[in-house]
Amino acid sequence: MAVSDEAVTLAGAFVGGGVALAGGAIGTGIGDGLAGASYIQGVARQPEAQGRLQVIFFLTVGLCEAVFFINLAFMAMFVFVLG
Amino acid sequence: MISQLTLGAADEGSEEGSGIEIAHHVEWEWNGWTFYLDTIWATVVAGAIVVGLGFIARKQLTKDTSDHVPTKLQLTWETLVDWVTGQVNDALGRVSRTVVALAVALFFFILIANWFEIIPSAWNDDTGHVLPPPTADTNLTYAMALMVFVGTWIYGIRERGFGGYFGGFISGSVASNKAADIPARVFFTVLNVIEELIKPVTLALRLFGNIFAGGIMIALIGLLPIYVFWGPNIIWKLFEMFIGGVQAFIFALLTILYFGMAATGHGDHDDDHADEHPHEPESAPAPDESDQGATHTPALAR
Repeated sequence: MAVSDEAVTLAGAFVGGGVALAGGAIGTGIGDGLAGASYIQGVARQPEAQGRLQVIFFLTVGLCEAVFFINLAFMAMFVFVLG
Repeated sequence: MISQLTLGAADEGSEEGSGIEIAHHVEWEWNGWTFYLDTIWATVVAGAIVVGLGFIARKQLTKDTSDHVPTKLQLTWETLVDWVTGQVNDALGRVSRTVVALAVALFFFILIANWFEIIPSAWNDDTGHVLPPPTADTNLTYAMALMVFVGTWIYGIRERGFGGYFGGFISGSVASNKAADIPARVFFTVLNVIEELIKPVTLALRLFGNIFAGGIMIALIGLLPIYVFWGPNIIWKLFEMFIGGVQAFIFALLTILYFGMAATGHGDHDDDHADEHPHEPESAPAPDESDQGATHTPALAR
């Protein structure tokens, strides 16, 4: 069974996109979870620090999610542009 | 950016599929240079909105009302400027008006530019997206990151002098025996230089990736049939407004932190800097990175 070149490229593009999203999702899940855990522990120890810690929490979540979105942008490039 | 709908291999066969053309800009060639006109006009519109809101706030401030109650727009600006001033004071040790102005302008501009994504302005014919989010184009984000970094280099060199600033990249001693020390120090110096060069790239790509990916997701949601499409559309667009806000906040906060790091050096990552500069980084990192507001009140009293 002969497989055309475009088929191989398309398959490779989809698999690459999937791997990029998988890695990104796992990393973001772990990163956000760790940030959330630290935030909860910090607030449990000292409830009045909640406002200050919240800013840092959102900053950290933003940074973790940012890496995921960069992965998402690469996935889009692989699937829509290269595949 | 969201034009026709035919995905991937549209020439392949049975169904036309749904395709999303990404990164499709209105181009203009001049002398071999290509300008993306849609990014440029969206930038101008976003900038005009920010500047216009500023002028409106100033007019409201100078108006002589009997009870002098601040208006909501004025309160928004004041909260933002106060917060930025507090952050700048914590990171730089003093209130530098150019840094405060830069951070406030960046935050507001990026917020408005990101929020353009929510406005559906893609016509159904070939004119494409009339008011795209300009931050979904790497050209704008790289330009902003470059501006921030040139600013930090100038600020760092002014604060610490040429020798002090470039000397800050040289790593302190790492290992106790001299033979292993030199290659380790060279390695860490190279890492410091690479880190400094990568920071503008990540700053630009973080913002770009978020907004660009959001646009793609909106296009994908647009493929759903109309009776289902409204649910995910509302949820995703609300999420995108939140992400746009968070990314603007991160860009502005990182700008302030990078200015602070340019002035004081990498005091917190290598503890070995204590050997080289015994007087400064011992005390500097704690007030820099610690909690905001508790130990320091900003120089401008509220």
